[in-house]
Amino acid sequence: MQLKAIYKAPWFVKSIFVVCFFIIFFVAGVTYKSINDLSESSDLVEHKYEVVIELEQMFSYLKDVETGQRGFIITQDSIYLKPYFSGRENINNSFAELKELTRHNPEQQIFLKELNVLIDDRLANFEESQRFILKRYNDIESPSFSPIFREGKQLMDDIREKIKSMIALENKRLEARQRDHKDNLKVTPMFLYLVLLLSLLLMVGAYYKIMFDLEKLKKTNLKLEIFKESANQSEIVSKHGNWIWNIEEDIYSYSDNLYRLLGEEPQSFKATTDNLMKFVHPDDVEKLRGQIEKMMEEKNLPFIYYRIIQKNGNIKHFKAYGKTLVNNDGGRRLLGTTTDITDEIESFKALEERNLELERNNKELSAFNHVASHDLQEPLRKIQTFLSRLEDKEEENLSESGLVYMSRIKNAATRMRSLIDDLLQFSRTNKADKVFEVTNINLLLEAAKQDLAEVISEEKALITEETFPVINVIPFQIQQLFVNLIGNSLKYRAKHRIPEINIGYEQVLAENEPTIANAKQEAYHKITFKDNGIGFDNEYAERIFILFSRLHNKDEYSGTGIGLSICKKIVENHEGHIHACGAPNIGATFTVYLPVV
Amino acid sequence: MNDDYIHIVLADDDEDDRLLFTEAFDELKITTKVNTYNDGVYLMDYLNGEDAIMPNVLFLDLNMPRKSGMECLKEIKANDKFKDMAIAIYSTSASEEDIENTFVQGANIYIKKPDNFKKLKKALSEVVTLNWQYHTNGLNKDNFLLRL
Repeated sequence: MQLKAIYKAPWFVKSIFVVCFFIIFFVAGVTYKSINDLSESSDLVEHKYEVVIELEQMFSYLKDVETGQRGFIITQDSIYLKPYFSGRENINNSFAELKELTRHNPEQQIFLKELNVLIDDRLANFEESQRFILKRYNDIESPSFSPIFREGKQLMDDIREKIKSMIALENKRLEARQRDHKDNLKVTPMFLYLVLLLSLLLMVGAYYKIMFDLEKLKKTNLKLEIFKESANQSEIVSKHGNWIWNIEEDIYSYSDNLYRLLGEEPQSFKATTDNLMKFVHPDDVEKLRGQIEKMMEEKNLPFIYYRIIQKNGNIKHFKAYGKTLVNNDGGRRLLGTTTDITDEIESFKALEERNLELERNNKELSAFNHVASHDLQEPLRKIQTFLSRLEDKEEENLSESGLVYMSRIKNAATRMRSLIDDLLQFSRTNKADKVFEVTNINLLLEAAKQDLAEVISEEKALITEETFPVINVIPFQIQQLFVNLIGNSLKYRAKHRIPEINIGYEQVLAENEPTIANAKQEAYHKITFKDNGIGFDNEYAERIFILFSRLHNKDEYSGTGIGLSICKKIVENHEGHIHACGAPNIGATFTVYLPVV
Repeated sequence: MNDDYIHIVLADDDEDDRLLFTEAFDELKITTKVNTYNDGVYLMDYLNGEDAIMPNVLFLDLNMPRKSGMECLKEIKANDKFKDMAIAIYSTSASEEDIENTFVQGANIYIKKPDNFKKLKKALSEVVTLNWQYHTNGLNKDNFLLRL
């Protein structure tokens, strides 16, 4: 991990290049020095050969002189004396040359002086022997010539020796130098080779690192490109735009969609506060300026709401949010998002209007409720009461048909009473202001039976029930449900049977119940009301829950067609389900499903 | 207070109801003296009069012009002079709201005007013969509404 981290660090490549730079610099220095040494060595070699050649040259001139003299002695022909005369001058020239060549070498200078003496002596010897030679034929034979001639040979040998030792000296110098630089010269190429190889390796490493980074950069760039495009798309879909405000330099940059939100072509004008203000609704300019000032001071801001007017006159509602970011070098930038919330605001307004309308409707409805509950009931009650008065006091004074009419009026009034009562109950069965409570269902059932006690005892009905758990319900509505369902069974009892009602309970899973297979909840409380009444044909199983729908003539059974609608409404308030199934003359079963929460 | 008869007062703006009310008491075999008043203002004027005979039971209609039954109830309960008076609410509606409010304000019983003269007689006789001491001690919201 650590190695990888180092490898990844940006200074890795930098340090490789620094190392390479120093290596190359070092190699250049070493190379320069080696080449310098080499060229010095070759200078030395050249110098040695020059000295040797010059010495040989000089010696050869000397030998020319000697050969010329000997030729003349043998032939007495003066043509052989030509090298003898030019030889002197040539030797002098050579000598001067040698002197120049060896001027940095004191040892050689000494040798040269000694050589000079010897050469002078040799030349003097030539002069002397020449005197004998020029006396023509007889003088060579003179006894004094022979020692002079031998002395000449002796001198010649000395000179040869001297030259030899001078050459030896030059050789010695060369050898010493070669010895000194031999190691150096052997090691340098290998060293240079290795160092260059190393820097080559480093360069290759750096190259791969750079290529690797470049590839990564490419991939990241591609990702960034894709991300940018999807950000663009999401801006268009969700109707928002982004902006960056460099506070120090007061430079803005807007995303393309922000221009579109303003109703302009992307990047069609310079993004500045003043240019933005041209779009802002005149009533909002002051407010927005104030909030922009605030943005510069505070770090996190509440949402800013303002309106703009597009060129085509459309007014749009904008919501903006910005957050200040501070760079490493202290420069502040504000990163912001602006959203077009016109649609939201419009639908909110529409919703508000709807709500107001609903509220009005509700008020009217409750006014109607009041009228129904109070004002309509009062005259009806009086009709009924006075009817009962009439019945009690004046019955004997009425004719037979008068009695029939009176009983008809009574029936009609009773029916009207139950219609008003049921309707009121139905309209009161609303969910809105009812509170759910965890309730003992057994108690509710007991209370429902209490409500119906009179009818139950009248009909000698048998009601059996299982034990219920506590359930989260609107208590009085569930009690009403029980009253209505039991009341329904009692109302539609079979003429010649004692009514029996069995109330069952079990907890079930929706998937196991065919009638609620697609229900929202998984588990339900299943409550069944099974009676032995007149039942009904199953084809009406759905219809009986519809308001005012009845299966029987009102002369036979006194139903209003509201009771079961109330049941359905109550069950729906609890997000449950109610179903009926019946068999004519056998009985009916009502099943209530309440969700297990 | 007179032990010979039970003094009953009704405040109701409806003429028919007043008539039925008095007729019902006439037919009951209980010695009663019934006074009726047309609205809350007349009732309170009477009760606050110096020589007023305090009724044993006061029947209050809720919906009356000028001064409603609820206002009368509040006034009566605020005055220590009437603390022994039993108050029966006698109203057409039996909405949860009305029952709750009158119970909280300290009425003793709530009667929904019946739609049958026999029932009316039964209700009135029950109320008049009620043992108020016993009823008031065990009073709760469930037996506040008179069931027939």
